[in-house]
Amino acid sequence: MDGVLHVVSSDRPIPRNSIPAMPAAAASEQACDQALLRVDSISKRYGDQTIVSDVAFDIQAGEILGAIGPNGAGKTTLLEVIAGMQPVDKGQVRWHGKPLPPSRRREAIFYLPDGVRPYQEQPVIRVLTFFADVYRRSTSEVENTIEAVGLTPVLHKRVHALSKGYSRRLMLMLGLLAPHPLLFMDEPFDGFDLRQTREIVNLLRHEAVEGRTFVLAIHQLADAERVCDRFVLLADGRVRGVGTLNDLRARTGIADGSLEDIFLALT
Amino acid sequence: MRSPEAFRVQTAPLRPLFAKELCEILSGRALWTMLLLMCPLVGYSFFQAVSLYGEASTAGLQSPVLASTLSPLDGILVPTLGAFYVAVTLLFPFVAIRVLGQEKESGALRLLVQLPYRSPTLIAAKLAAVLAAWALSSIPALSALVMWGLLGGHLSAPETLNLFFGHLLYGLLVGAVALFAAAVSEGAATAAIVTLAFTIGSWVLDFTVVGQPGLLSWIANLSLTQVLHAFEQGLLSVGLVAGICAAVLGFAALATVWLPPGVRIRNKLIRSIVCVLAVALALGLVTQIRLTFDVTEDRRNSFPAADQRLLASLAQPLVVTVHLAREDPRYADLQRNVLAKLERAVPNMSIRLAGERQSLPTNGVEDRYGEVEYSYGAHSDISRSTSPREILPMLYGLAGVSAPAPAPGSDYPGYPLVAGSQVAHLWFFFGLPLCIALAWWWSRRLPQPIAARSSRRFNHEHN
Repeated sequence: MDGVLHVVSSDRPIPRNSIPAMPAAAASEQACDQALLRVDSISKRYGDQTIVSDVAFDIQAGEILGAIGPNGAGKTTLLEVIAGMQPVDKGQVRWHGKPLPPSRRREAIFYLPDGVRPYQEQPVIRVLTFFADVYRRSTSEVENTIEAVGLTPVLHKRVHALSKGYSRRLMLMLGLLAPHPLLFMDEPFDGFDLRQTREIVNLLRHEAVEGRTFVLAIHQLADAERVCDRFVLLADGRVRGVGTLNDLRARTGIADGSLEDIFLALT
Repeated sequence: MRSPEAFRVQTAPLRPLFAKELCEILSGRALWTMLLLMCPLVGYSFFQAVSLYGEASTAGLQSPVLASTLSPLDGILVPTLGAFYVAVTLLFPFVAIRVLGQEKESGALRLLVQLPYRSPTLIAAKLAAVLAAWALSSIPALSALVMWGLLGGHLSAPETLNLFFGHLLYGLLVGAVALFAAAVSEGAATAAIVTLAFTIGSWVLDFTVVGQPGLLSWIANLSLTQVLHAFEQGLLSVGLVAGICAAVLGFAALATVWLPPGVRIRNKLIRSIVCVLAVALALGLVTQIRLTFDVTEDRRNSFPAADQRLLASLAQPLVVTVHLAREDPRYADLQRNVLAKLERAVPNMSIRLAGERQSLPTNGVEDRYGEVEYSYGAHSDISRSTSPREILPMLYGLAGVSAPAPAPGSDYPGYPLVAGSQVAHLWFFFGLPLCIALAWWWSRRLPQPIAARSSRRFNHEHN
């Protein structure tokens, strides 16, 4: 380990579902002070079609934030715009309160897109070695992460021969090799069965405790409820609700409602 | 707190990036398929060249005068590397496009651009991979030259290296065009069409407008194939080399502009225009560089050494006024035999084409048509000859200097050779393809040390 990965945040990671419900203005003020990253009124259009409209929310250090919504809600576009992978029409992103221009987003955020199988002709181990060498990861770090992600059985396989689940694990591994404090993942549980999803949830939870922050774009509400500390509910490119499950329950007045009930109530 | 300052782009090592690019290009089928296709292509050109050279040599062995006209540069090198040129023009774009196009199609580019490298570094690494691919693809051509040496043939090192250098620059230019095409296109197929439009379009330009006057002549100079002509004549032109380098850097810069996905199209277009203007300015400047070296063993692009020395000492301006149309064959003769050599030898010389606006006279009504006027200082003279044997003494007369005595033993002997090429058949149709297939298989092996280590660890943990 070169020291970068183990640098733990001086801000304590926020325990899951721990923020109590509070008035919106007060919550916003407090969030602004503590925010690792603040998304400020971001909008994105393709021609005449508005994909993301005036989206604003904060990301706290050490949390797992879920961008939740059905297919076509604008989750992927939102993540790509924040990560600087697409030009934005309006709005800005702040890192610890200071503007973070698109050209410098990759210094803070690592984005794992959906549906990517990188370097398909290469064996898995070579792809991992490339990323590990770029980020100067030690052999023991790489081996530990391989073990944690569960890639050991397919190290000798070429990427194009991987199943969908192992392909996801490879992408997750690449993200974990990156030393970035903030990891964006688009549909990270797509292709996993229940047991595998739990393994990955535990792994993400462990990483979050270590100080890394995650933003996950998820369309399966059950998975999102299982893993995320807070939620940004999206529909038609607009934010319909932001907060912990308890916040959202309080806002909708559904005391024991699941995320699915809340989402349906808000959209 | 993890801070973005910890992950600045300057900190990333370059070695893994170059290694990755090399692995990527070696793992693709395009390079190996191209190499296999080049074996018979280069081989057939080599057989033909050796055969024709042998036929000419049969007479050359009987006559020293005929022998002196036999140069391996024209007889073997240019035709053999001509096949290499065809392969680079038609097949190499597919190899070069893959360097970027594959990552674009698989989505890996979206990971690559997030790594701590600047866009120019990424493109430089890809250009280095293209260069490595070109070096590998030159193996059949190189083996033909080795075969020629084994058959007893002569090769002049400066001629050979110069010609290979020209092909290297041409390969880099095609590679840079391919990278640019891959950067601006969504898919590899579109990029291939764009690149082939450049390379095959150059052929069309050569066929249709070369030798035409005015604007068409200027357009013809934009052809990529013009790059090789000077090198095939045994000339190393500093201006041409600088021009090609500027074009390669220009296309690479354009690829860099179009690589990052998070930049608005309008900004990319503005940066592209700046790049194009900068390259146009650079090309305009390098056309002023007239430094050229004749690297041929027979010094075909120069006058005899004694004449060269004397012409270089002429201090006053020499003005040549040519009353010929550019498309007139006599002008081509004059240009090749006299004017081009004079331009390289005389320090202060200018050429005026007075007949440029004239068409070829049909009835000899144009009195001065065909005349070439040479003015040196206050003296001038007129000639219609295209031979240096007549013009050089006239120039010495104008300058008031004596013609130098010819240096003994400086004549080019020529290198006639009658050789069979049966072994070359076996090499190009069986030996070399087999070696390439084995190298392909070897390149697809897993990285053993890491794999073995991981396997050992994996087995240990599961026992």
